[in-house]
Formats: sequence, C-alpha cells, structure tokens
Amino acid sequence: MKKIAVGFYVAVTAVLLFWGYYQAIYVAPNDALQGEIFRIIYYHVPSFAVAFVFFAVSLIGSLGYLAFRSGNPDRALIADALALAGAEVGVVFCTVGLTTGPLWARRAWGIWWTWDARLTTTLVLWLIYVSYLLMRRFSAGPQMRTLAAVLGIFGALDVPIVYMANRWWRTQHPAPVFGGAEGSGMDASMVGALMWNMLAWFAWGVLILGIRFVVERHQQRIAAAEAQAALEAR
Amino acid sequence: MDQAAVLDHQFRVAAYLVTWTIQLGYVLWLTIKWRAQKREAVRLGIDRSLKSR
Repeated sequence: MKKIAVGFYVAVTAVLLFWGYYQAIYVAPNDALQGEIFRIIYYHVPSFAVAFVFFAVSLIGSLGYLAFRSGNPDRALIADALALAGAEVGVVFCTVGLTTGPLWARRAWGIWWTWDARLTTTLVLWLIYVSYLLMRRFSAGPQMRTLAAVLGIFGALDVPIVYMANRWWRTQHPAPVFGGAEGSGMDASMVGALMWNMLAWFAWGVLILGIRFVVERHQQRIAAAEAQAALEAR
Repeated sequence: MDQAAVLDHQFRVAAYLVTWTIQLGYVLWLTIKWRAQKREAVRLGIDRSLKSR
C-alpha cells in the first residue's frame, strides 16, 4: 500500500513537471520587452520559493532538536533528520536559483552578477547553509547536532532579509512581482505557467525531501548499530 | 530569427538544463548513498529493521 502511494505521488509529480514545462514553453507568451529570456522566471522563482519553505522546515527541525534533546532523544533524532533534510534540499533549490539568475542577468542586464542587497543576501544565505552541511559532514561527537541546530536557526534568520531586500533597499534585482508596489504583478497569460511550475517544483521538492529524510533516519540507525557492535566487541 | 533572439533561446535552454542537471545530480547522489547504506545494513545485520520502518 505504501509503495503504491509513493508510486502514485511520483507519477503525479512527473506529470506536474511535464505540464509545468509545457506551460512555460508553449502556453505562456514571450515577454514584450525581454522576449524568450523571461521564461527563465518559471524555473528561477519556484526554486527560491521552495528553498525558502525548506529552510523553514530546517528551522522547525532545529528548534525541535533543541527542545527534545534532553527529554526525548528519539524525537530529537527525528527533528535533527528533518533539519538536515530541509537544509540540504533547500541548498539544492537555492543553487538552482543562484545559477539560473545570472544566466538571466547576463542577457537582461549585460552582467552576470552585481553586489546588490537581494543578490548578496541570497549568496550569504547559501553560504550559511553550505557551511551548515560542511560542519555536519566533517565534525562528530555529541555537540555536533546542537551546534548544527543553532547554525540552522541563524541561517533561517536570513530568509526574511532576502525576501524583503528588494522592498527595503533599491536593488538592481527587479522589484517584487507579487505583493510589491502599486502596478506590480504579472500578465494573466503568464500567471498560470508560474503557478503550475511552483506546484510542480514544490511536489518534486517534497519528494526528494522525503527521500533525504528516510536516508538520514537509516544513517542514524546504522550509526546506533555500529556503536552497539563496538560496545559488544569490548 | 535575429542574433539576440538566438542568444535568448540559448540562455533559456542553458538555465533549464542547469536546473535539471542539479536536481537529477542530487537524486543520483541520494541513490548512491541509499545503496551504500543497504550494503552497510546487511554487513551489520540490521537490514530487516531498516525495511520494517
């Protein structure tokens, strides 16, 4: 039953991704000013939206770990696996956003990168979570998870700053399309393509987040079994 | 098609390819990690406990 449910979810996600691509390439019109290069937005914006959601998942996991680590070690380990999965999949989506953005900028602005507030805070966000993953990879011991949780919480604090950067400061990055100043927004013929891709990439993200969570839970059990075997061997 | 439109097309294709390469590359890495875990679980004799959860 579980396998059927997972298979069904994978199939729905694949259809959504195909449909999102079809909408972005064949249904949405070219932008009047930017032409075809504008279509990068259909992958760029959903990637960051999903990354922000998963960094929030990582924040919840980090807070959960700190809350449970003394009283309920099993729950703490579940929360820690969630924090790691959220951070890692968030970094994957953030990397997509940080590579598709410069490809758009090179054509739209004539430069690959500029140190404006939106781009810089986004790069800092990516660096914080990459350092989180590196710290987990190359350190060990009982304090590692606690330190990772604290770093994860600090990393999440950058998410609202990234989101608000082009509202608080004048940036080269375009003004917010949704929830921006008066006159902002997107033509109705383009909104559908963006929303379908948002849904498709979110579904894909949940799928790989789930896989990463399960892999980490397995890793925790293997580590526990190895520790037990080492104790019995003494 | 003029030169600018051709370049726009190439950059758009590059952006979509980069997206899929990163995503599928990550899934490939997860698959390799999962398979390594399975071998490790068999070595430790806990492969049944992993399956049952």
